[in-house]
Amino acid sequence: MEEFITLNHGAGGKQTSELIDKVFKKHFENPCLTSDDASVLSVGNEKIAFTTDGFIVSPYKFNGGNIGKLSICGTVNDLACMGAEPLYIATAFVIEEGFPISELEEITSYMEKTAAEAGIKFAAGDTKVAGKGQVDKIFITTTGIGRITQRVNLSGANAKPGDKVIVTRDIGRHGSAILIARNEFGIDSDIKSDCAPLWGTVKDMLSVSENIHTIRDSTRGGVGTVLYEIAGQSNAGIVLDEDKIPVDGKVSGLCGMLGLNPLYLACEGTLVVICPPEDADKLIETLHKGEYSENAAVIGEVVSDYPGKVIMNTEIGSQTLLPEPQGELLPRIC
Amino acid sequence: MNEKLIEAKNYLETYDGRPLRIMEVCGTHTHEIFRLGIRKILSEKIKLISGPGCPVCVTGVGYIDKAVFLAFERNAIICTFGDLIRVPGTEMSLGEAKAKGADVRMVYTQSDAVNIAKENPDKQVVFLSVGFETTTPGACLAVKKAKNENVGNFSLLMSNKTMPNAYEALKNSADAFLYPGHVNAITGTATLEKLKNEGVSGVVTGFTAGELLTALSVTVKNLQKDEPFFENCYPRVVRPEGNIKAQKLMSETLIPCDAEWRGLGIIPGSGVKLNDSYSEFDAEKKLSVPDIKGRPNPACRCGDILRGGCLPNECPLYGKICNPLHPVGACMVSSEGACSAYYKYSQI
Amino acid sequence: MCVGIQAKVLSVDDDTAVVDATGAKREVSSALLDDLEPGDYVMVHAGVAIAKITSSSDEETEEILSDKKS
Repeated sequence: MEEFITLNHGAGGKQTSELIDKVFKKHFENPCLTSDDASVLSVGNEKIAFTTDGFIVSPYKFNGGNIGKLSICGTVNDLACMGAEPLYIATAFVIEEGFPISELEEITSYMEKTAAEAGIKFAAGDTKVAGKGQVDKIFITTTGIGRITQRVNLSGANAKPGDKVIVTRDIGRHGSAILIARNEFGIDSDIKSDCAPLWGTVKDMLSVSENIHTIRDSTRGGVGTVLYEIAGQSNAGIVLDEDKIPVDGKVSGLCGMLGLNPLYLACEGTLVVICPPEDADKLIETLHKGEYSENAAVIGEVVSDYPGKVIMNTEIGSQTLLPEPQGELLPRIC
Repeated sequence: MNEKLIEAKNYLETYDGRPLRIMEVCGTHTHEIFRLGIRKILSEKIKLISGPGCPVCVTGVGYIDKAVFLAFERNAIICTFGDLIRVPGTEMSLGEAKAKGADVRMVYTQSDAVNIAKENPDKQVVFLSVGFETTTPGACLAVKKAKNENVGNFSLLMSNKTMPNAYEALKNSADAFLYPGHVNAITGTATLEKLKNEGVSGVVTGFTAGELLTALSVTVKNLQKDEPFFENCYPRVVRPEGNIKAQKLMSETLIPCDAEWRGLGIIPGSGVKLNDSYSEFDAEKKLSVPDIKGRPNPACRCGDILRGGCLPNECPLYGKICNPLHPVGACMVSSEGACSAYYKYSQI
Repeated sequence: MCVGIQAKVLSVDDDTAVVDATGAKREVSSALLDDLEPGDYVMVHAGVAIAKITSSSDEETEEILSDKKS
């Protein structure tokens, strides 16, 4: 491992796991910590889900949301992925000296609206102001608690050969919206982030199927990274059909220009769901009625071959390995 | 896929003639061939070799060292395509240099770097100019723009290369070449016709699944005739005369020079540098860059791999100390390199 | 070595053009192409339009594969 932190360590891929294993797990490991989106803990007779997440998105405003909306969605979705009804959320702000209060209010009003939609209540908060240049405008950390009432057992380690792999909507939107908002590459496109609170989506799914094996929020690193995590945790292979993966034409155009693969672009309102084959149709039917999952699709299945790998059935009827995500996404041009 | 393409695919799957070696020269071809799983469907009699057509792979270790030198010792803003960020230098890559405080910025096109220079008049701005004939005209346009707009703090660290002499150096490596379509969009096809007359066969190839399968099937069919051939299988983009404006632009601004290809050594006349009228934009001269020679790993077999002499997994370093996260050699460095593509895609 | 993307020309102004690749719009250099008009399709590499595109990939491969020489 490198001797100092690089952006690759924060990209959600192999180096992020390496850093977690070699530094954080070394000192923090205990049975409460799992590789899932939130931990499931027992308090008396109740089962709760517990999670935390830091948000440093730059720029803090983008097509389809801002850092405030994102900070609520991220935590709500992590809880939802464990089948937990989001209950309480704590927020900690680190704000750079000079940040306009009107902007802060815009951010908090988005948070209010998104939290109301998800049914989560603000229960604690903290504010720190950092000197000019010590942080980039505004960072938000949110921590959430949810209650697990239904009989669910969701984990990335539960995928079984024969299971179907579902994505709840077209992929790569948030990463694309951020790339465009940063304007580093001078490309303009009307791509809206998928940023959305998904407890409603999860609740709808759980109401039609008690047998879902895995629900994962595919945030940084995109759907490709999440599929690799699931393949690794479940020690199974995942085979995808390239032509079934929903990608908006605008996202494809942007990816084409920069030589990127939409499977590695971040999402903030897209779930990967693994379920037994007999439940796939009814889940898709339910998802298609939902506000944030109109174009949900079965994109592949779990197999016993190729444990830990993700395989792609390509457009020419051949198979290839989906390369494992490697660090920071770099445009491939020359 | 239409019927003709399915036919072409079947032909490539079931070919049972003499064993053939076909070299895809272009790194983007290598990448697409792996992404589509084309090697997996080819008959065992057809072997595809990945050639040296990835500018990042053939760029020497010393080039990255010079860029790192410019960033730290000349306090320059380094502008680059994303492709170069992870390429290891002797001490560090540009990504690592950035983590240590160097100002390294990714751009989409060379003239964006001129704009960065205009926005930062008190800093030197250096664009890392790598690439073949497809990419080089963009660098020439940037230099002309800088000259016209009097942007005195912009320069290029050049390592641009040209293909024709590389074909000469590689001509015994394969039975036929898939020529790089976008290079030929600029250069045209006269050199390739000439190569045919010298006994070197090949087809100009596009980049979609259909275009790759078409070019491969045309190549295999022509190889049955046992006489040299040349076909343009990408005429919707490649004209025989190429892009004359781009050719003129390059001859106005550049002169040929010898160039070092990582893994292949020095190929005479296979590089370009700015001519005297534009030498003020040559970063090496302008910012007095010492002649830094990088230290490649001696056990690395990239040279053999780029010439089709061995497969990536036959190198002693492959997959052990050399992998895409910690590349040692040229071919593992770029996402389009033969070893990197082999490592990432062919583990099934 | 040379990632290219097919894009439609939306407007041309002197040596620059705005192109659209299925919704992704960018200003590119059109200095290397003569007589470019809105509606033309071009191959763009690293922000430079390097060639006009004369037909679709599907049409062209079908034509080549139908040809006797192949």
